[in-house]
Amino acid sequence: MLMRRQFVLTLILIPIAFGIWYAAGTLFSAPAVWISDFLLSKAYPNIIEAAGLRGAEMVVRTQFGESEGQIMAAAAAGNQIALEINTRLVSYSIAFYAALLMASNLKDGVFKFCIGLFWLWIIMAFGLASIVGKELLLLAGKPFLSAPGVPPADIIALTYQFNVLLMPTLAPVCLWFWQLRGSPLWEALAEDIKRASSTGASLPR
Amino acid sequence: MTRFLLLFCGVLGGLFAIEMLKPVQEAVIQPFTGILATISTALILPFDDTVIAQGRILRDATTGFAVSIEAGCNGVEAAIVLIAGIVAFPATIQNKVIAIVAGFFFVQALNIVRIISLFYLGQWNYAVFEWFHLYLWPVLIMLDVLIVFAIYLQWLGKQHPKAEAV
Repeated sequence: MLMRRQFVLTLILIPIAFGIWYAAGTLFSAPAVWISDFLLSKAYPNIIEAAGLRGAEMVVRTQFGESEGQIMAAAAAGNQIALEINTRLVSYSIAFYAALLMASNLKDGVFKFCIGLFWLWIIMAFGLASIVGKELLLLAGKPFLSAPGVPPADIIALTYQFNVLLMPTLAPVCLWFWQLRGSPLWEALAEDIKRASSTGASLPR
Repeated sequence: MTRFLLLFCGVLGGLFAIEMLKPVQEAVIQPFTGILATISTALILPFDDTVIAQGRILRDATTGFAVSIEAGCNGVEAAIVLIAGIVAFPATIQNKVIAIVAGFFFVQALNIVRIISLFYLGQWNYAVFEWFHLYLWPVLIMLDVLIVFAIYLQWLGKQHPKAEAV
């Protein structure tokens, strides 16, 4: 019964949470962009110069330039390629997480939301970095892949799939589940889990 | 709990890596995505005979509007999350197989609703299409996975209701 209430309330709250998330614009994306800027410019200073926010877009100034259709070092090209990345591609995880958490009506809900938000910003930063990796792979190709410290194309594709297509929806569920502990919903779920896992108790662990 | 988490992450990462392999993409994922487009077309055709499926593309013959079902849009990633959860949770092999088959069906059923809705939303309003495509539908699909997993746990519990007293 509690679980059904949770899902129905989540569905009702999703439009509200998404409305607030969209209206807040850059507010929910900014910390993830700062973390991403720090990670990328420290780990790959020869590829990324800096990243910043412009509206809901993360603008990444790269160390690559373009001359006569060729991608080369910005200094040699005399110009600099900048990438524009839609931060909402990963930040919608906050709206989903807020809907899940609000539907559970947990004690210290606001505090738990702040803790969850902190983790989501870190996960989002990796998501944004993965998008940058994918964009550079498609845009620059060989000059990007041959730069020191850049992983192979398959790893870039895998991390993109994982961090951008999966984590924005999986991470909120994991965080919410972790923060449920001690709540009436958790007790009901634990009962279900206890009964359900006893059916497989004969299996080797 | 630790065992569940470790197994869940291991199976999730393993299946994700397998899904990304080129031979798996060519032999399984792409044909499967084509089947999704064909099923979506078959479901739309009785109501709208202007729709045609070309491989992974769903096209409206009169307006020319088309949607291509790409990686991340075929529900495979969501199904992988569900499979990882089912495999990691202790149960008999038979129960796991039943849950994986039924769960995959439920995820894909909602995914077909998603594809059809996006096809029409795109023809109506592109901004709304983008919103649903990029933000809302991925959330609803993951919620579907969560609901299916919760139902699976309840179903497992109901199979041996007396086990609670053991």
